[in-house]
Amino acid sequence: MRISESLRTGTLEIFHHKMRSFLTFFAISIGVISIMYSLTLIYSMNFRTRKALEVLGHGRLKIQPKRYYQETTSMDKKEARDTLTLEDATALRANFPELPMVSPILANGAQFSHGDFNNGEYIAGITTEWKKRGWVYKVRGRFLNEHDVASFARVCVIIQNGGWFKKPQWMKFYGWKDEFQEYIKHHDLLGKSVRLGDNLYTVVGILEEPPLEKNPKTFLDLEGWEAKVLIPISTFQRLMGNDNSWGWGGGGLDSINVDTGKAATVELYKRRLEKTLQARHAGRLRLDVKDFGEIIKTKMADKHRDMYTVLIIGAIAILAGGIGIMNVTLATIYSRIKEIGIRRAIGATRGDIMAQFIIEAMLLGFFGGLAGILISMGGIQYLASKGDTDMMMVQWWMPLLSVLAAVLTGFLAALYPAYQASRLDPVEALRYE
Amino acid sequence: MIKCENLQKTYPLRKLHGYQALKGLDLHIRTGEFVAITGPSGCGKSTLLNILGFLDNPSGGHYFFRDRNVSSFSDSERSSLRLSEVGFIFQSFNLLPRFTALDNVRLPMLYLGAGSDESESRACGLLERVGLAGKEYHSPLELSGGERQRVGMARALANDPKLLLADEPTGNLDSRTGVEVMAMLKDLNRAGLTIIMVTHDQNLAGMASRIVKVKDGVIEA
Repeated sequence: MRISESLRTGTLEIFHHKMRSFLTFFAISIGVISIMYSLTLIYSMNFRTRKALEVLGHGRLKIQPKRYYQETTSMDKKEARDTLTLEDATALRANFPELPMVSPILANGAQFSHGDFNNGEYIAGITTEWKKRGWVYKVRGRFLNEHDVASFARVCVIIQNGGWFKKPQWMKFYGWKDEFQEYIKHHDLLGKSVRLGDNLYTVVGILEEPPLEKNPKTFLDLEGWEAKVLIPISTFQRLMGNDNSWGWGGGGLDSINVDTGKAATVELYKRRLEKTLQARHAGRLRLDVKDFGEIIKTKMADKHRDMYTVLIIGAIAILAGGIGIMNVTLATIYSRIKEIGIRRAIGATRGDIMAQFIIEAMLLGFFGGLAGILISMGGIQYLASKGDTDMMMVQWWMPLLSVLAAVLTGFLAALYPAYQASRLDPVEALRYE
Repeated sequence: MIKCENLQKTYPLRKLHGYQALKGLDLHIRTGEFVAITGPSGCGKSTLLNILGFLDNPSGGHYFFRDRNVSSFSDSERSSLRLSEVGFIFQSFNLLPRFTALDNVRLPMLYLGAGSDESESRACGLLERVGLAGKEYHSPLELSGGERQRVGMARALANDPKLLLADEPTGNLDSRTGVEVMAMLKDLNRAGLTIIMVTHDQNLAGMASRIVKVKDGVIEA
């Protein structure tokens, strides 16, 4: 029998038993819905982790002075302490030339003015090493160079947001607009003079972020608030003042970002860098060294739990659907013994009979899966519209895989009943009333 | 065409010895014959027909079909013989009620691997031949007994069989339609088809070219 004919008669049977088919669809679609959800979640988590590591590198460390509120005892809170200095960063660079990146950062808030536009902005002082931390930008003009840092140049680089290809639904209801970003989007500041704090700076470059969907930073929030205006760290120290009322460094650097190159070297360098810094400060430095791998892992832990819960529910639902299909197929076989006898009498082989029942069950799985896909795509769209970034990562192959799982369930569930049907003795079956 | 030698069939029963339905039966049927098999209930007619139609294997003896010994054929070999060499006509028609008349007739062709269009046109031709043009898309439940039996005949002829087996083909029909069906069988026989018919009815048996009487699992001389 040709496949097309088997499919046709199978569909006929399914439509003939509407209630039976509906119940089976129901169980299967619940299974497919949860499979879809978990697949999207798994994909999203893998994507985020991969992208995070791609952007940050596998061996990233962030060295920050420990803040007083991070201390546990009041004695520690009140203890006098040293701050991280630019010289510390320079020393690390000199002592560990093999490190791919040692990037000190000093940041503070300041007024940004251009013409009538006036807005408080977060401004970061950086060295050229900043370039090595998650570079995703397209440059217009140029980036800061060694000469700028060495000569205390009053130049700045502005980061421009990428915007969305297709703005997510939730963004439209989200009232806040970044006025600074709006302004720079509509005024080309490249080569212009802007005022930061009390001084004038020349904008030497605009760093354009990729569209938000393509920007890995959209989907991983590991570094917190990012400064959108960058100036040389030397200039920052000289002109932005070092009172650091906004900053967290307590008068020193905010942080030193280090790339140790490989995941395997993180632990080793964590110890060695800390030792070097403590030696420079005679132990008066209280440090908080963060390993990005750890951060990512804790961020993902909740999602892992969610995923397993949903996956287990899905597996149970699919199993229930499979048992439903098996039950239904067994029941239909008993109500169709006569039909089996007739088919065998006119020449159907055992294989033909088996194929017939298996194809019918697979069709049940297929239609149930299809219904599940429709419902779950609706649900996923809804969640995505509510701002669930995980659900935005649904891929075209996920529905395909889910339907495949449903069809496979139908196939496996029908094997035994179909085998039973094929074993029926044609003479007995024909005589059956 | 058919040669049976010492054909035996024993049905296994739960207690001690089985029930022997055929006890060493010899039968010879030539191509183009129209044979009626008669006999009382339980004499083994149906068992014989099932074996002749490859639905069942004999437990002993030999069955030669067109000079091939088919008595020990496997299930799938017998299936393919049923599909292409014989056609069955049943007392209770045995049509699939959820299918249309056309689909019922097409079924054997589809099992043989015919395409959709080809099988449809051939099935329409067969239905026309048995006088059911215009009723192709009726369900068997919407047809009268005589019409159903004619659908059954069209189905039996679907794959151009060499042998037609009829098990009380008129048993469920009134005498007039019964005669019609018999006339049709005679026509087919005249066109060269070998027919074996099981019946109780002596009048119908009389319309065949030869009568074989079975009694207690053997042929009555």
